[in-house]
Order: sequence, then structure tokens, then C-alpha cells
Amino acid sequence: MLKVENVTKYYGDFKAVDNLSFTVQPGEIFGLLGVNGAGKTTTFRMIMGLLDVSSGSITMDGKKIDYSMTDSIGFLTEERSLLTKMTVKEQCLYYGTLKGMTRSDILKRLDELLVKFGIEEYKDKKIKELSKGNQQKIQFITAILNNPKLLILDEPFSGLDPFNVELFKEQIVEMSKKGSMIIFSSHRMEHVELFCKKLVVMLKGKPVLEGYLSDIKEQFRKKNIFIKGDITKEELEGITGVVSVEPHQDEYEVKIESADIATSVFDVVRKKKNITKFVVEEPSLNEIFVAKVGESFEK
Amino acid sequence: MKNKLKYLVDVSLKRKLHTKWFMIANIVLALIIVAVINIDSVIRFFGGDFDEAVSVYVIDETGVSFERLKEQIESLEFSITGEEETTFDVKLYDKDLDSAKKELEGDEDAAIITLANDDNFVLSASLISESYIDTLDYQVLYQAIQNTKTMLAIDTSSISEDELNQIYAPIEIERIILDETKKSENESMDTIMSTVFPVVILPFFMLTIFLVQMIGAEVNDEKTTRGMEIIISNVSPRVHFFSKVIAGNVFIIMQGILLVIYAGLGLMVRKLLGTGSIFTSLGSEMTGVFNGIMQTEFMSKLSYIIPLTLVLMLLTFVAYSLLAGILASMTTNAEDFGQLQTPIMIISLIGYYLAMMAGMFKGALFIRILSYVPFISAILSPSLLVLGQIGIIDVIISMLIVIVTNYLLIHYGLKIYKVGILNYSSKDLWKKMFKAIKQK
Repeated sequence: MLKVENVTKYYGDFKAVDNLSFTVQPGEIFGLLGVNGAGKTTTFRMIMGLLDVSSGSITMDGKKIDYSMTDSIGFLTEERSLLTKMTVKEQCLYYGTLKGMTRSDILKRLDELLVKFGIEEYKDKKIKELSKGNQQKIQFITAILNNPKLLILDEPFSGLDPFNVELFKEQIVEMSKKGSMIIFSSHRMEHVELFCKKLVVMLKGKPVLEGYLSDIKEQFRKKNIFIKGDITKEELEGITGVVSVEPHQDEYEVKIESADIATSVFDVVRKKKNITKFVVEEPSLNEIFVAKVGESFEK
Repeated sequence: MKNKLKYLVDVSLKRKLHTKWFMIANIVLALIIVAVINIDSVIRFFGGDFDEAVSVYVIDETGVSFERLKEQIESLEFSITGEEETTFDVKLYDKDLDSAKKELEGDEDAAIITLANDDNFVLSASLISESYIDTLDYQVLYQAIQNTKTMLAIDTSSISEDELNQIYAPIEIERIILDETKKSENESMDTIMSTVFPVVILPFFMLTIFLVQMIGAEVNDEKTTRGMEIIISNVSPRVHFFSKVIAGNVFIIMQGILLVIYAGLGLMVRKLLGTGSIFTSLGSEMTGVFNGIMQTEFMSKLSYIIPLTLVLMLLTFVAYSLLAGILASMTTNAEDFGQLQTPIMIISLIGYYLAMMAGMFKGALFIRILSYVPFISAILSPSLLVLGQIGIIDVIISMLIVIVTNYLLIHYGLKIYKVGILNYSSKDLWKKMFKAIKQK
């Protein structure tokens, strides 16, 4: 289990991470969310031991992470961390050997992964000759080459098209099923919602939202209702508890204060003719995040 | 961790050795060294000739001077130039001066000597050539004419043959130096050092540049591509730092050995071409320098000068590599490192020029102290040792100072390196580094 406990990091007088705590269990996919400068990369660097914590502790299976444990950790940095003059094979041999793997194990695993990501023809190509998306694939491959027990992914989907995002997602889910602890950051909420059960949302170094995704959504009482039919915007806005009504093409998105209000809205809507859609949906994580950030800013 | 250190050293070396530029640079170096060693053959190939004899046309109006002049030239050319083969082709010219001048046209290796008696029946001469004459060739001709004049004058006097021999016998000067540590043979050492030493220390200077550039470029490359974060998350900064230092030093030792091999190759080519000793073929000036070296104590000192110099140079290479690694870790891009390299190069250049001018300082305290200064001591100390201005103990002190410097560079440099390699901002750079040094 990865345990981050009351971690704070200062750069001079600037507090980059403020009292952050979370745990990641084997097989769990954990999301670390936040806008740029929220403290995500600093947190990852502290987990990897690249930065010392100012206070608090970070342990894996009860032990402080040091170089005796890094062979079982995979790390994908936010920016490209590939030596572009090397070929794909040389790069993987380089990083794989630094992970304590043997040459034959690296080459065997590399062949598997190159096939899985559909880039086997690039094995002997120089990294600098590859497209941005393919470079990201190679970077991802170098991070999972050693079947890490703990996989840290800093913005893994940047520069990827939806097809490749799906490819990465499959691999991440597969690794979590095999028992890897996966922690990743993103500022794209939809990526997190795809396969994250647990998360922490950071704002200016501070955790502002944390826990299981289902609990967070449950706690966030506001819901959205999508209505399609013969009803006007004014009629919907007149219902007590309705926060806003936004027309979208031939339907309305109605935001309500809490789930209870849905019944009042339904009572009004059912009296109307030609109602073809009435769907109550959970708010997106993005909405929750924006709401939280807004609150925080207002404070 | 030991295996990872070995692996990182291997990777660094392969990244340097398995490049086409390393191959190209070494092919060029090999060609240059072989060409320099066989420079006489190269010049001859392009039409020049070191061994071409100077044609001397003698117009003897006295009717009795030619044979004596010829004898004098033949005798003096060996003693002054030290060359085994004859460098002058002396001919009696029986036509007039204008015809002789026509013989000179387009021939820079020819001269006319006119010999005549003046009003007092004393020999007068003129030396005519198309262009400048080699200094030593002029000395031979001047001395030969002078001797001929003296001999003719003696002939007309009543001096006996024995008296004549005594007059011509070289004077023996007993040279006595009261300082027992100094020998008269070494008096010409300053001149010799200023000629020979730049050639000897040039490879050290060149290898230093290779070393600094290699370490700087590698650290910088890994840092700017952010590969450093992955590397440092798997090996400690200490291991990474030492891997660069070891790889850099192994590389330049290999490069140094290659330079020696290229020199050996050049000598082999020379042997195959049958051009003889390099010193005698490079003209009379080089022969003089070589003879000078042989007469001094230099050769006997080599048994301890070479090992001491090599050890001091190796220690200094380590110092340069540590410094290059530390500075490279602080930079955020290749341009920054280019600028940071400049002071290192300047330090190295100062050492180079001081070593060349070492003789001028006559063992002054100033140069003695400078010879202890790390980074420049590797070339300055051995040159002062050769000149006899410092002793072995001074060189050992220089070595100890470099060892202490290396320890300090490792101790404090590692702290800077650990912070520097993961720092991507040049804001408050020096503040960050000083803070890093203060950390326990």
C-alpha cells in the first residue's frame, strides 16, 4: 500500500503542497487532479524521492521509498523524458536496465508491448523520428516495462488521440487487475471518471476534494435533469429549487439544488404534452471540481 | 547499485564511441598526426624538397679563392647545420655576372658568390640570391667566406702551418657555475622548452577540452530532455555523477592512447618511406633543438618526469571532469553550458601559456606558487621541473593539492549536483546552489 501522510512541501517560502494525505491499495487506480500549478508533479517527485518532503511521510508497504524499492516502481513524467538520439530499443534497454531488468527480459517485454501498441516497426527507429503520439507510447512503455508494483503516471494522456487514450486505458486497467497500484494525474476530468475509483483534487497545493468518486458524487447534492418536449424555459425556471436552465438544441439542461427537487420538476413536466425525454443525471466530476474551485476562490 | 554504475559508464562510453563523429574526428586526427610526422614527405609530394641542395655559383675574380671556399663550405655545413647529407652544390662559374643572374631565375635554392680583391688586396665578396636565404645556410656561406679571407691573408703572411692550426683550433671554455644544482648543459633549456613543450602539452589541452565537452553535453542532454528524472528516480545522483566522471576519464584515456597509436603509425609510415629521423628531416632548426635536448639532462630526467606528469595529469583530468559535471548540472540548456565552459577553457589556456613561458620567470616565487594551483599545475609543474626551477617535492605538493581539490569538489559538488540536475529554472540559481552547499 502507498501511504502519503500529512505531506507538506515548501520551496523557500512558497508552500507547493499543503498537508496532503491519501492511500492507494494494490489494484487501485488513484487520480490526482488539479489545474496547472496545483502541486501534482511536486507530489509525484516526492513519492519518487526526487524531492525531499518538508514534513509528513511517504511509505510503500510501510517502508520509506528509497533506491532499494525503485526497481518496482514505474514513472511516466509529464514532459517527454526520452533521450531522443537513442532508438526505441536502446531507450528501453537503458531505462529497463536501470530498473534492474536483464537484457533478455527487456527485449521480450518490449516486443510484447510494441505489438500491443501497434508500433513494432519503430523498434529500431530513433525516438526523434517518431510522432508526438508515438513518443508518448514509448514513454508509457518504458514506464510499464518492469510490470511495476506502483505505477505513477503524470498526465499520461497528453498528446494522445481518443483511440490511443482507450489503448492506454486498457493497459492501465489490465495492470490494476494484476494488482499494481496506479496513481495518475490529469487536468482532464473525463479521463479520471473513466476508470478512477478514488481521487484527490488539489488546488494551490491543498486537497480540496478527496475520497471515492461515488461518495464524492453522492455528497455533491446538485443534479442535472435533461428534458425534451413541449415546455418553456420560463416554466422550468419558475420551479422552486431549480438553479438554472440551459437550452441545448432541442432539449433543456436543468440544474437543481438537490435530488429532492427532481420530483417537483417531474410533477410540472408530466402535465405537459409530447415529453419524450426526462433523465436525471449525476453531475460530472468537472462540474463538481469547478464548483469546488469556485467556492475556494470565493473564500 | 555497482552494476548500475558500471552500466551507466558503459552507456556513456558507447554514446560517445559509437557515433560517426567520433570516427570522423579520429580519422581526421590520425591523418593530421601521420601527416605532421611525415611533413617532409608531404611537402616533397607537393613539390617542395627539404633535401634539395643549394646551388652556389662562384665567380672567382681572384683566381685562387674558389677551392678554399669550397673546402670551407663543405666543412662548415656539417658542423653548423648538423645534417648528414650535403646541402650545398658549389660550382665555379666562368661566365659573367649577368649570365649567372639568369641561372638564378626561378630557382630559390641557388645563390651567386662573387669573390674579388679590393684595392688593398683583401678579399671582398657579394652574395646574390633570388629570394631570402635560410638563416643557417647564410651562416655557413658567411663563415666560409670569412675563413677563406683569413686563410688568404695568412698565406701572404709568414705564419707557419702549426701556428695556423692553433689559430683555427676551437677555443675551449671551461664553464663553471657556482650553484651546484645547476649544470651548464641546461643553460639552453629555456629555448628548448619554448620550442618543444607546446607540442608535448598540446594533447593534454586538447583532451581537457574533449573531457569537459563530453560530460557537459551528456548531462545537459539528459537534463534538457527530462530523461534525468527517470534516471535519477532509479539511481542516486551520486552514482550518476560518478558514472559521468568515470566515463569521461576512461574516454580521454582511450583517446590519449589513440593519439599515441596515431603517432606510432606516423613513425611506421616514416620508416616505410625511408625518410630517416624526424628531427634531422625537419630542417636544421629542429636538428639543433634535438641535439640541444640530447646534451641536457632532460633525457635522464625523463624516468621520473614522465610518471609524475602522467599522475598529475590524470588527477587534473578528474578535477576538470568533476567541475564540468557540477557546472553542467546547474545549466538549463546547451547555451548556458557553452557559456559556463568558457571559464574552464580560460583556466586551461592560462596554464598552457604559463607553461610555454615558464623559462622567462626564472623560478620566481610567483610562478612557483602558480605551479601549485590545481587545474594548471598539471602542465606548469612538469615544465618547471624540466627547467630545474622546482623539485620533485614541489610536484608532489601539486599532486596533493589536486587530490584535496578533488575531495572538495566531490564533497560540495555532489550537493550542488543533486539539486542542480533536477532544477530547470535559472531564477535564483546561485542562491539555490549556495543553499545546497550548506545542507548537511
